Amino acid sequence: MSLCIIKRLLGSLVLTTLGILLQGCGLVYDAVELIHPLNRDELSSICTRERLRVGIAVEPFRPFVFPAVYTDEGIRVTGLDIELIREVADALTLYCKGPTPIVPTLHVTRFPDLFIKMNEGQLDLFVSSVGGTVPGTRPTGLWFSAPYFRDDGIAAIIHNPEVAERVWAQFRKQNGNRDTLAAVQGGFAGLTIAVQKGRPAHLYAQANLKQIRLVICDSIPAAIEMKDLPIDVILSEHSILEYVTKRVWQDWHPLTHTDGTPLMLTHADLSIVTSDEHRQLQWFLNNLLFRLEESGRLIQMRRRWIEAEYAPTRRATAEGLPLEVTQVPDHYDQGQCRLAEGP
Amino acid sequence: MLLVPNIILSLGLMLILLCAQSGLAQTSQKETERTAELLATLLDAGRVVVEQNQPLINDPRRGDKGFSPDVFERLVLDEFFHQAQIDLKTSSSSFPPHAKDLLTRLLLASKEVVADAQFVINQRGIGYKNFIPATFGSQAARKFSKQSKVTIKQTTLDPRNLRNAPDAYEETVLKRLAHQPASTSPLVEWIDDGRLLRAMMPIYYSEDCLTCHGSPKGMLDISGYPREGAQVGELAGAISIQIPVDHR
Repeated sequence: MSLCIIKRLLGSLVLTTLGILLQGCGLVYDAVELIHPLNRDELSSICTRERLRVGIAVEPFRPFVFPAVYTDEGIRVTGLDIELIREVADALTLYCKGPTPIVPTLHVTRFPDLFIKMNEGQLDLFVSSVGGTVPGTRPTGLWFSAPYFRDDGIAAIIHNPEVAERVWAQFRKQNGNRDTLAAVQGGFAGLTIAVQKGRPAHLYAQANLKQIRLVICDSIPAAIEMKDLPIDVILSEHSILEYVTKRVWQDWHPLTHTDGTPLMLTHADLSIVTSDEHRQLQWFLNNLLFRLEESGRLIQMRRRWIEAEYAPTRRATAEGLPLEVTQVPDHYDQGQCRLAEGP
Repeated sequence: MLLVPNIILSLGLMLILLCAQSGLAQTSQKETERTAELLATLLDAGRVVVEQNQPLINDPRRGDKGFSPDVFERLVLDEFFHQAQIDLKTSSSSFPPHAKDLLTRLLLASKEVVADAQFVINQRGIGYKNFIPATFGSQAARKFSKQSKVTIKQTTLDPRNLRNAPDAYEETVLKRLAHQPASTSPLVEWIDDGRLLRAMMPIYYSEDCLTCHGSPKGMLDISGYPREGAQVGELAGAISIQIPVDHR
């Protein structure tokens, strides 16, 4: 008994002395942490938590994320991104070897807020059909995975066929020396072009299209609905625009070349985003994506969501994921559009 | 000498007690049957309200639809009054006392479903949301059944959701109902030596249902399921209720 008390006293004395001596020595702690991390790595944290905190944008990016619907099981969301999230959670379940599976919990928020939430440590990762290859899309502190969706890019949809004629006329002037950027700059000059705030298309337009009236919208549906300021062109990811013009907004058409092939303004691959500090999770994600690509699973997912005929509601019932209802805004409003300031 | 009248008196008392007990048991059975009928009616009232409000719920131009749990409750109580001639807002004596508690719980579960669905209902720019009588009914029945010894379920012979598949008893009754003339009153039966009440309230296709369940048979409806090719008045399914005798 007495030996135990003496041991405890000695232990407390050593700790107190260390506390006094190392007061303000944060650098010592940092150095130790660097050589031998004292905290658990992010993968262990996920395993302990048994939950994967995933951010997704509330704005629907069909077919990557469809609008939430009500099913026999409650609110569910579905889409290619959701299937990918399931793959990540399943792989984490195998990795963690725990008694219960890793459950992905979806934190639904406005697209620009995903970056903030990620930086604040509220999310483990986010998937929102976002590409990291467009300059300016990689904010400090965030890391973009290997692509899960390759060969996408920024494309345009138009309402009036005359817009296509204007762009084609520019291509004709080039006498076979194709320069898409120049043709688009000339063809779009003076037109009103809408983009979603903060998305790669916004950055593209800001950097490359100086002769346009740029309209910044909270979502693509807001651009479609815009009445006060008629929109000539909407820019966004090609795969999203292709889907919505076929199935949702059929009076809008993809801007193509004269032979009908899609006119891509620039290429972009879509990635999963996580914190720059989550080195273990980054390797885990890249290794998983490599394996999914190797096994043909990524191609299969692409075909399933981009090419196949299906009803999203039925898929939501069968394979959708629930939302953290406490995390979502009171109600989704597709928002507004406004003219960009300055040139 | 006094023994004979005493025996007669005792026998008489026993007979009276037995009769009273049997009478009470019969009353209790009748009350339980009435409770089952009212529960089915209330769930159906909720389904009707959800059906009637489909144009509002699926209006893509409006954000906040005003279809709140309180508004829903008011509409359901009106519809319930219309169907059962019972005003649940006032303490009425026209239905069994224990039914009041169960009906209140079912109403609360139904309101919870509407509350949970607010995010989906109030999305602006989104049309069809799949908040339909079937999905509402499934969730309301499940929520209620989780907190009670009484079980409510929607079922049909050819369910779109396998969780709504009929059990052997329900399948038999549904097949019987399919060949009978339409009736709004439930089929009620005591099984397991009177220990369990099973009630099945038939639901028939109305004109509104045929948008998804009508013709052409096999063609996918808006939610991606093949249409059943149904016609107005055909049996769509039933609200199935199980009440154990010791449910209180």
